[in-house]
Amino acid sequence: MERELIESLLFTVLKVLVVVPVALGVGAYLTWFERKLAGHIQNRMGPTVVGPFGLLQPLADALKLATKESVIPRGADRPVYYLAILLALVPSVLLLALIPWGPAFELGGRVIKPIISDVNVALLLAFAFGSLSVYGTIFSGWASNSKYAFIGSMRKAAVVIAYEVVLGFSVLGVVLLAGTLSTVGIVQAQIERGVWFILYQPVAFVLYMFCMLAESGRVPFDVQEAEAELVTGYNVEYGGMKFGAFPLAEWYLNVIALSAIAVVLFFGGWSGPSILGPLSPYFWFLVKTFGLVFFTMWLHWTLPRFQAKDITDVAWKILLPVAIANVVVTAVVKYFF
Amino acid sequence: MEWVVFTVLAVWLLVSAGGVLFAKHPVHVVLFFLSALLAMAALFLSLGAELLAGIQLLIYAAAIVVFYVLVITTVPWEKLKEFEGAYRRELLFGLPVALMAFGAFAYLIAKGEFAAPKGQVTDAVRELAKTLFTSYLFPFEVASLILLVAMIGAILLGRREG
Repeated sequence: MERELIESLLFTVLKVLVVVPVALGVGAYLTWFERKLAGHIQNRMGPTVVGPFGLLQPLADALKLATKESVIPRGADRPVYYLAILLALVPSVLLLALIPWGPAFELGGRVIKPIISDVNVALLLAFAFGSLSVYGTIFSGWASNSKYAFIGSMRKAAVVIAYEVVLGFSVLGVVLLAGTLSTVGIVQAQIERGVWFILYQPVAFVLYMFCMLAESGRVPFDVQEAEAELVTGYNVEYGGMKFGAFPLAEWYLNVIALSAIAVVLFFGGWSGPSILGPLSPYFWFLVKTFGLVFFTMWLHWTLPRFQAKDITDVAWKILLPVAIANVVVTAVVKYFF
Repeated sequence: MEWVVFTVLAVWLLVSAGGVLFAKHPVHVVLFFLSALLAMAALFLSLGAELLAGIQLLIYAAAIVVFYVLVITTVPWEKLKEFEGAYRRELLFGLPVALMAFGAFAYLIAKGEFAAPKGQVTDAVRELAKTLFTSYLFPFEVASLILLVAMIGAILLGRREG
């Protein structure tokens, strides 16, 4: 008993040590990818100077952020000011624990699941972590003792409250079809039927994408940033690496994790033709996830921004009724067929 | 092994609860409250009640506390009256009640039996849904009715025009 516990603990720590640094590194490198993409969308080159194709740009950025002078505004609430960084980063990292990267395999007579924590209420936890990340935004704006930052925080809070509800209802259709809340179980349900749930739940997918953009503060829902009016909003009073942590958590880690969960819910997770042998499930999972990340960035650099009041209006008056109707229709259809 | 986890979580919970009582600034109080709710969720997880932990996080830590935070952070506290030490009269009336409640709880813990898990539950979501929508359907619906009444009341209070 004791030995089993220690062994499983060891395996979990190993998995965390693989997933978290890789995700943080990929998150940092997505900044390079995004700048390149934005550049080409806007008929520019993007970063080209530091390293070949500007590939060393994220490292240069990190160095720059790390060596900047640390400025804290007068009247700021220091403990909360620092705590807000943690409150923003931790939920985004915790989301990574619930993502099944591939099917379970055997190694030396031991079954290994490539998921850090396979709990049977994984989806519930995913949405909980998703909405917990709002505290980073709210408290960073409040603790900064600055009007602009605080307006950004309040906008984000209003957006998250509205879209969290829609998000919960939008995925209920998938949960009804799969009959489970576990991320591994949902992927297996799709593999057993040989169909991706996006075919049965196209409406839910569109709703989910709306909510994903809103929760991660991406265009067209980036009212909390609003460079034009709020000069990047809630994190305007943070400098150096303290500033770097917020976009890393919100724009990159959150987008990666929510895209991965979208792949689990609607695109059959790791399923796909076996073209790389035992590595192909991971290949397909990553390809699908980055397809969605790419789509998000594409939208970010081509769409204009909604007004703050329109965002919550759309959520409560249009998306929520559509989501509830989707659940009712799915339940009725599932009951009779 | 289990008692280590329990001790850590229990200390975390007690410290947070103390913070809720003794922190001066309302925003700090809300942060301690949030911390207490997270500790509670962790306790549920350590007891194997994953569904309860998830609900605790989603409903309490996320949905409800966000509203507290929204209200509390927007109140201009520096304009309100400063807190002037302990409330004497409230303490006079409150203390006997608190002592009696403590006595009752202490008696229950000392004499009573703790609830023990009744067999292994494989699918907590399914089991909970079954009991909620069969044995406890009426209390469940009454609870939602109460919430509905509270919501209507809040909307009436919040309306500007008479």
